[in-house]
Amino acid sequence: MVRWQRGLWLFFLPSFGLLAVVLLWPLGYAIYLSFFDYYLGSDARTFIGLGNYADLLSETRLWRSMWTTMLIAFGSVGLEFVVGFALALALYRLHRSAKVFSVLLFLPHIVTPVVAALFLKWMLASNWGFIDATLLTFNIEPQDWLGSPFWAKVSVILADAWVFTPLIMMVLYAALQGLDTSLIEAAQIDGASNWRILRHVIIPSLIPAIIFTISVRLMDVFRFFDIIYVLTGGGPGTATETITMYTYQLGFRMLEVGKASALGVITLVLVAALLLAINRTLNKTYRGGDR
Amino acid sequence: MKDRWKSSTVLAGALPALVLGTFATSAAAQDAIRVISHRQPALEYYTEQMVDALPEGRVTIELMPIDKELELASITMSSESDAIDVVYLNDSAFKRFAANGWLEPLDDLWEKYKDEYDLDDFPQSVVDAVSYDGHIYSMPILTNTELFFYRKDVLDEAGIAPPSTMSEYMDAAAELDSPRMAGTIMSLKPVDAALNEAHWYMNAIGDGWFDEDWRPIFNNEAGVEAITMLKEMSEYAPRGFTSHANDESTINLQQGLAAMGLQWFTRAAAMDNPEQSRVVGKIHWVAPPGGGARVANDGFAISKFSSADKEEVFKMLAEAASRESMREGAKFAMPPRLSLLEDPDLAEEFRWYPAARDALESGKPFPAMPDFLDVGEIVTRHILRAVTGEAEVKAALDQAAAETEELLASRGYYDQ
Amino acid sequence: MSVDAVSRRQRDTYLIFIALCVFTFINLTPLIWAVLTSLKDPRDAFTIPPTIIFEPTLEYHYEVWFENDFFRYLKNSLIISLGTVLVSVPAGSLAAYALSRIPRRSAGPILSALFTIRMFPHMLLAIPFFVMGTFLGMIDTYPLLILALVAINQPFTIWLMHGFFLEIPRDLDEAAAIDGCTSWQAFRIVILPLARPGMTVAALFSLLLSYNEFLFALVLTGTTTKTLPVAIASFGGEDISAWSLSAAGAIGIMLPIVLVMLVLQRHLVRGLTAGAVKG
Repeated sequence: MVRWQRGLWLFFLPSFGLLAVVLLWPLGYAIYLSFFDYYLGSDARTFIGLGNYADLLSETRLWRSMWTTMLIAFGSVGLEFVVGFALALALYRLHRSAKVFSVLLFLPHIVTPVVAALFLKWMLASNWGFIDATLLTFNIEPQDWLGSPFWAKVSVILADAWVFTPLIMMVLYAALQGLDTSLIEAAQIDGASNWRILRHVIIPSLIPAIIFTISVRLMDVFRFFDIIYVLTGGGPGTATETITMYTYQLGFRMLEVGKASALGVITLVLVAALLLAINRTLNKTYRGGDR
Repeated sequence: MKDRWKSSTVLAGALPALVLGTFATSAAAQDAIRVISHRQPALEYYTEQMVDALPEGRVTIELMPIDKELELASITMSSESDAIDVVYLNDSAFKRFAANGWLEPLDDLWEKYKDEYDLDDFPQSVVDAVSYDGHIYSMPILTNTELFFYRKDVLDEAGIAPPSTMSEYMDAAAELDSPRMAGTIMSLKPVDAALNEAHWYMNAIGDGWFDEDWRPIFNNEAGVEAITMLKEMSEYAPRGFTSHANDESTINLQQGLAAMGLQWFTRAAAMDNPEQSRVVGKIHWVAPPGGGARVANDGFAISKFSSADKEEVFKMLAEAASRESMREGAKFAMPPRLSLLEDPDLAEEFRWYPAARDALESGKPFPAMPDFLDVGEIVTRHILRAVTGEAEVKAALDQAAAETEELLASRGYYDQ
Repeated sequence: MSVDAVSRRQRDTYLIFIALCVFTFINLTPLIWAVLTSLKDPRDAFTIPPTIIFEPTLEYHYEVWFENDFFRYLKNSLIISLGTVLVSVPAGSLAAYALSRIPRRSAGPILSALFTIRMFPHMLLAIPFFVMGTFLGMIDTYPLLILALVAINQPFTIWLMHGFFLEIPRDLDEAAAIDGCTSWQAFRIVILPLARPGMTVAALFSLLLSYNEFLFALVLTGTTTKTLPVAIASFGGEDISAWSLSAAGAIGIMLPIVLVMLVLQRHLVRGLTAGAVKG
């Protein structure tokens, strides 16, 4: 080992020290609480071992909300990716005006989430929301955007996509800027169709960026909360109750902190496993598993 | 490299400054009495009265939506922090906070200042509503009751009298429902709004929520009938009613998009406000048909963990709840003082007071248990499943009853 | 390429341009509508048909900023988000650099662990954070919220910066070592200048996160350190006349961050291109 590498561990100190104190401690505390029957209102907490976990895993409500979460998560990340990628490609084609567009298209991502939810509610609310009011003006009977179980899910997915498509667009646009243009030109001279160029030249070289965006989004989409809370409150019925909405109900409404913490741990394990699987597959398909 | 230097010096300089600055400000903030409250016109008014009651700078007010307020208060008080001194509590949250031992009992101060602030003017029912386990914990600030709002012009034109029973209400809603105007507003957003609406049906048609041993009875025959009716009524509700809370319903009435329905007293004044409403003068009120709609007594309580001088805080609250202050506040909410409720001038001044007095008599508060909010969370979820067709009414209510019993058992309700 | 192909390409570009214009407009409708809402009385805000032509009023913007202390909240928001950036980016960069220089088989698990932590629902951390803050007597102080935000922000910053440092060849450090530099000197003199685009990106994302964060800000701040998102949320709900106010506040809160984005947009794209997404 070279001399200078010896001091390297010192570099970890500020960040990991901070994480240990500020993040690991609360996280450990939360995990600790997950083994207790702990109602925030009373001082008594009883150790019940894996009781909370057993309770939760046997509930249909957990699995239903997990299913809803998956649906919304994959729906919105899929939509975000397709639209974001299309936008990135479009921006890449336009040289001069791309800057203006990229700034304008990025705006929804900057809006504070709580506020973004409110803006979207003013769009989607029935009757007096902008969309309904416009449709009704032309005597078109609108759908019940937030009130029917199907459309509520669609609305929630669109809402998430509105906020996060810009992020994907920006990352992929940046990645496109780093492309080796000579490859594309060579393919064009060979007379390859646009589709073939996209499929065989552009996508393979964007794989790291694609994995980056999809994993970041998937990780965050499972924590998706503000917008659902404001738009539907998990309703109608339980149509848009995601795992985070359920955690909120348990922890902040019913003050069952022990059970809520257990749910947090379950979420974490499931999502981590899922992400690992997705990453593996993506890597394997596109690079023969060399990483 | 010069740049690098600069940024690291800035960094080194900024941090201590931040730290120092913070300690200076937090030291100053400790003296002030911190009041947190839900934001609505009546509470804006009453919190202003608190600010005026003490010298300038003594009181700081923070207003926010009630769900955020209760989250903040729960987290703060469960960790026994003195960060909050006074908290606004509606009736159901009040019971929970009192049961958790988070509130300061006010009995001695109440006794001491009884005459000075004429506290006997509060009717016994109101004092009961702010008491838990024999102790007074909260200063009553407003009585809120659900009223039945209706468009007089629309009903008159159709030759329909304001309904006095649920079946009349249903017929009227069916008759008046049209693509441009919904027959009735319904607010079924989980949890609070939907619980209020269900509470009314459950009392007017059903036998209420619980028997005297806190066993659920809302899934009996009458209860199933009540929720079936609620489900049928929803055919005449505006699109999106499952995500509507008070705001949405108020706007639907104000914009002339619905003919009638259940809404809070505190929303009545907004109907006649020309800045917001397109139906000024057209809305009239009666007590909710069938009776049993929600009545709530809300107040301000002092945190048990507050390090402020509690006598001073009590006097501030009493000042805000004085007769003069409440006479002025009567335009925002019903004052819980007998002397004001019987004041004939109020009825003259505000068109909705006569209906409100009737509603107060026929209405019902939430069951007097600290855990009703949690019960409500379970119950509304299943009722909405029934309304949206995810489940049969009976099956949904049975499941709700089973989950409710399980919850209450775990909170020690059935220990004998 | 033939002339035909060139003109077809030209035509495609026009089509793309027009399609983008339409999409951008639709995409911005919620924002435009919010701006309009902030300029009208609540009575005209929710009508059928939508009121497009009206007499604009700046009353609500004025009320938000001058009667509701928004300048103070803006100051708090700025202190807290700049504080977060100033702590998070340097600390994260140091750790990321070290991670990029140790063997991959040890770095991998550390990165995964960081990510696992990141996936824990934030709302469940709010209560422990509050308990900790109360214990230290730091509720309603800037450092507490800054620390909390830095903590939840670290994994992402480290991951982002790790990608950058991987792009910087190890030969450079080794050359510096041969010249007699310590690892700190090698980092500061050789590596750091090359990582600047990456740090800009990391700073920008930290800024976005900390400026917009709501839950921790609600729970950990009080009267003195309340931030803009918390202040705006306080207008949500009950009173409809407050909706014009929330629209005005919401537009107001966006302006500073939009300005920052306008200035740094070029750096964002360049920084992302330079490496963050190649790791």
